[in-house]
Amino acid sequence: MSSFLVAIFATGLDVSGRGRLLLMLPLCLSIAVVYKTTRCESLREIPGASLVLWVTIVLGMAAVGVGLWVLFRIMV
Amino acid sequence: MPDRQPNTALRVPLAGFLAWLVPGMGHLFLGHRARGLVFLVTITATFWTGVAIGGVGGTVHPGERRLWFMAQLLTGGQSLAALGMHNSVVRSLPQDRPPYLGSWLSIDVGVHYTGVAGLLNLLVILDALSRADPASRHHRVGEREPPLGGT
Repeated sequence: MSSFLVAIFATGLDVSGRGRLLLMLPLCLSIAVVYKTTRCESLREIPGASLVLWVTIVLGMAAVGVGLWVLFRIMV
Repeated sequence: MPDRQPNTALRVPLAGFLAWLVPGMGHLFLGHRARGLVFLVTITATFWTGVAIGGVGGTVHPGERRLWFMAQLLTGGQSLAALGMHNSVVRSLPQDRPPYLGSWLSIDVGVHYTGVAGLLNLLVILDALSRADPASRHHRVGEREPPLGGT
């Protein structure tokens, strides 16, 4: 069993290309879910509030990324 | 029904320790079962997804990424298990070869996933401590406390 687990986790995945940016989506979702689970008083609020926060984080990071890219293109 | 909750002096540190040892376990101990399960599933999935992406050899590396490793340690038992796997992988490699079995980009992504999982568990630990301490309950006006013995 332990050798099976080591075999799964020993070698990393091949992360390349622009598709790697998609890996931020589950990480942002995880952050949104945990944060909203600590903050929401009612458990029923958690899915909706997490979704709103997730979209906000992703759009915010995308906006910052585009802004930095534009700045880079202007300066270089 | 008998009161099975330990006294406050024991309840607060025990909730904090359990929350560190296994993400969500502090909330499960306090009777917040749904919240505890959400934390357990989310943080565990985030941590081990990071290890799978980056590979345990490069992702959990106390020698090279000390600050990130300190963040990873906040996931408690899971980070210690990953460290054990890291040592196992390092021992199985030739001595002149570094334990980087993935690309630097994969390791970078894996380190961020596992580090963020640890920092999220710090948030969960603080939340468990706050819920365990009766003195801080005034911040949670309107929240229904779970009945004794859990819900």
